[in-house]
Amino acid sequence: MATTIHDDLFAPDVIADPYGYFGRLRAEDPVHWNAKYEVWVLTRYDDIVWLIRHPELFSSEVFKRDPRPPYPPIPEADVEMYGFVREFFADFFIQHDRPSHTEMRMVTHSYFTPRAMEAWRPMVRAAIKDLLDDAEAKGQMDVMQDFATPLPVLVIARMLGLPEQDRRFIRELAQKLLFIGRGDLNRMRPLTDGIKGLADYLSPLIKERLAHPGDDLLSVLASGETRGAFSRDEVVANAVLLLLAGHETTINLICNGTLALIRHPEQWALLQASSGLAVSATEECLRYDPPVKSLQRIAAEDVELRGNVLRKLDRARWFIPSANRDPAKFPEPDRFDITRDPNPHVAFGSGIHHCLGATLARVEGQEAFSALVDRFPALHLTTEELEYQPSITFRSLKALPVTWN
Amino acid sequence: MARALRVRVDHTRCVGNATCTTIAPGVFKLNDDRQSEAINSVGEPEEIILKAAENCPVSAIRVEDAATGERLF
Ligand code: HEM
Ligand code: SF4
Repeated sequence: MATTIHDDLFAPDVIADPYGYFGRLRAEDPVHWNAKYEVWVLTRYDDIVWLIRHPELFSSEVFKRDPRPPYPPIPEADVEMYGFVREFFADFFIQHDRPSHTEMRMVTHSYFTPRAMEAWRPMVRAAIKDLLDDAEAKGQMDVMQDFATPLPVLVIARMLGLPEQDRRFIRELAQKLLFIGRGDLNRMRPLTDGIKGLADYLSPLIKERLAHPGDDLLSVLASGETRGAFSRDEVVANAVLLLLAGHETTINLICNGTLALIRHPEQWALLQASSGLAVSATEECLRYDPPVKSLQRIAAEDVELRGNVLRKLDRARWFIPSANRDPAKFPEPDRFDITRDPNPHVAFGSGIHHCLGATLARVEGQEAFSALVDRFPALHLTTEELEYQPSITFRSLKALPVTWN
Repeated sequence: MARALRVRVDHTRCVGNATCTTIAPGVFKLNDDRQSEAINSVGEPEEIILKAAENCPVSAIRVEDAATGERLF
């Protein structure tokens, strides 16, 4: 391996600034064998798009096929809980290959069309207004806790048709599931509790929807059982997936995007002056500091790439931040430019697993950024000491405290 | 007689999600880059083609009436 770069993906400097570390790998050793974690690290835009568009070579069935222990490691005593978590997650359709992936995804795919999501925009806008009204009354907020964390759960719970009075309860359980990507040593306990709590909560509702289908998303999902795409356990697991997949990700879009806008006052001013830029601004936020840092595949057979041989069952991780800043694809990649066009970033992945909720997330981002510049023109940080979760899956701030006075 | 359609895929948008090839396999085919090509605009009934266009997650598919140029999707 033609590089002197260390392999500690969780080192504080790598967590603080993934662009430096993965940018160097992209330049020096774009298909890098990370011996410490026994994983191939891919950092070039073209390689990544090629890899994720060849699902027959690189399987998504990571929980099912990868016998190695989780990383970062967990205590010995939690291994049993990990077994449970792993089995539950293996039912997510994001973790399936064809043909079952297609069958499962098609159950809810039509619910999320660009046209259908546009119809939810007024609801998203109203939810944002409520949250920002509360914040405004306080004079300051943690964008993370007070705004970005509740929003996606409010929206998806409404789509699923979950009762309003259960919101607080759902939020608490959903928060436990956030531990999946947060590299915390003791993450298995909250994860297990979150999964069990949500599964217990959702099961009777799913049964009810099967008997009396409505037009909500939970009914649509449950209809997958009627048509043979899902078992009951799989319906329950994938209802949890819909709650989970859009949570940490949308939080990070809002927080990372808000931070990028704050740090580039001329771009903030530009967005403020022309609300028509909300669409391209959201795309640039997704490119510049993407919510998802990396995802994994398992080689389904021996594959050659740039002179390396990835052996069957080898793990391969693709790093979105470095793909999105690849100078071979994006002119002036380190420049934050909310008018950038074209902007073919891979924040939502690509190929058959391209994010099911992409249009919804875009609507949430557009509405959130528009509302912030509109209501809080003087928004600024109350501290420069920002910290990130020690995760290689997500690019998650721990907090984003701001004020506007 | 069904009207003739013009079907196009915008490759600056297509992410190779393969929804169109699942819904309308007689019309769309993935190329070597795993992006969709409209190879046969009469390969499926009009309603199926419109359904594929509507279900493209990134709105990359455009469907027009070939005779009038009217945009159908
Ligand atoms: C900014 C917000 C979001 C980002 C950055 C994001 C990112 C991603 C990425 C990168 C993938 C590809 C996974 C892979 O290839 O292994 C994905 C898949 C997925 N996302 Fe999102 N996501 C976001 C929001 C949402 C929302 C709001 C939902 C809610 C419905 C959602 C549901 C899903 C599902 C169900 C999949 C699996 C798709 C499949 O396997 O076919 N996501 N997302
Ligand atoms: S559905 Fe859209 S994104 Fe997917 S392959 Fe077809 S044209 Fe491309």
